[in-house]
Amino acid sequence: MQKIPLNLAAPEMILARDVFRSESPAGIPVCGKGTVLNENLIYRLKQMSIQSIYVEGHPVTFEGEASLEEQLQDLEKRFSKTLDNRRNLLLLDIYRQQIRCAMGEQGE
Amino acid sequence: MSDDRRTELKKIIMDTKTLPTLPGVIDKLNAVSSDNRTSIQEMARIVSADQVLSARILRLANSPSYGFYRVSTISNAMILLGVNVVKSLALSSSIFEIMEKNSVGLWEHSLGTATAAGVIARKLSIPEVEEITTAGLLHDIGKVIIGLKCAEQARTIRTLVKEKGLSSSEAEQEVLDTDHTEVGGWLAKSWYLPEKLVEPISNHHNVVASEGHQIKTSVVHLADVLTKASGFGNSGDPFVPDIQSVAWDALQLDEKQLHEIVIEFEDKLVEVKNFSLELQGNNAAKA
Repeated sequence: MQKIPLNLAAPEMILARDVFRSESPAGIPVCGKGTVLNENLIYRLKQMSIQSIYVEGHPVTFEGEASLEEQLQDLEKRFSKTLDNRRNLLLLDIYRQQIRCAMGEQGE
Repeated sequence: MSDDRRTELKKIIMDTKTLPTLPGVIDKLNAVSSDNRTSIQEMARIVSADQVLSARILRLANSPSYGFYRVSTISNAMILLGVNVVKSLALSSSIFEIMEKNSVGLWEHSLGTATAAGVIARKLSIPEVEEITTAGLLHDIGKVIIGLKCAEQARTIRTLVKEKGLSSSEAEQEVLDTDHTEVGGWLAKSWYLPEKLVEPISNHHNVVASEGHQIKTSVVHLADVLTKASGFGNSGDPFVPDIQSVAWDALQLDEKQLHEIVIEFEDKLVEVKNFSLELQGNNAAKA
């Protein structure tokens, strides 16, 4: 699952989360999770001034973005001093899942 | 001997002639807001007199770390956010003017910590979310002052972190016999900040020492840990600190909550990154 600004949305991308009219997730979604995007739909979302959406997988690569392996390596390095703390180990594991998920490796 | 070095340093750091001062508008606000006959409009007028500050308050009020959107007037910001929040916004935005110019990495780390602190406080229904967010924003203010006042030692500290793999605090102790939490505490006290901000600044690496506001200190401690775990910004060293058991117990955290907090925090970080890039873009345009 990846969060992308709406102007990078393209047809065939699949919504990974419901889209809401405003930033607050209270209210009725304007477009449901699982919807396949098309030009028309993207235009309509833009009209509603939606800023960003969540799509499945990891379709957009940003400039300078590290690969999954690099990100996981950096993560292990950041935790290298506190591996004897069980709460930190817990957090490390949560972050491993988080990174995999953000890079589109598995669903939430 | 080492105590001498610390006392000497305190003198240098607290030398008021070169210490960054807070804008007069904050003194005025403090004076009128303690009088409960003052109206919001009067206070808004004081803030509005400083246009740079007004712009920054509106920006911060509209930023993802505060979670309100489309606040367009100072009096609306005051009604929506509350007077105390605007006061702390005024305070943090002026401090961050100092910080932003000096170190983008540290500014991002602080913005990240503020965001994480807000997410944690809301998730755990802890009161005074705005004060906690401000404490998150200010928690590493000691590092800014060390950078400003002891440029040479700050270089040695950076080298120690890089070459010996020390944490910032360890390197600071080795070079200065004190660290950024103590220095930040001195500064916060000299600015007469409330205890609920002083304690998280002074004790975010030693939560047990926080007596009056341990919950707030615990939130800021965990927020600092999360920001370092996510790798956002640069606080001087890359290492995730230990999650202290005192903080974990004070917040009565469990694994499920921590996971939910991380997901929500990472969601918000995407917006925070854009916000920071936008600010830097603006600064580059001005220069």
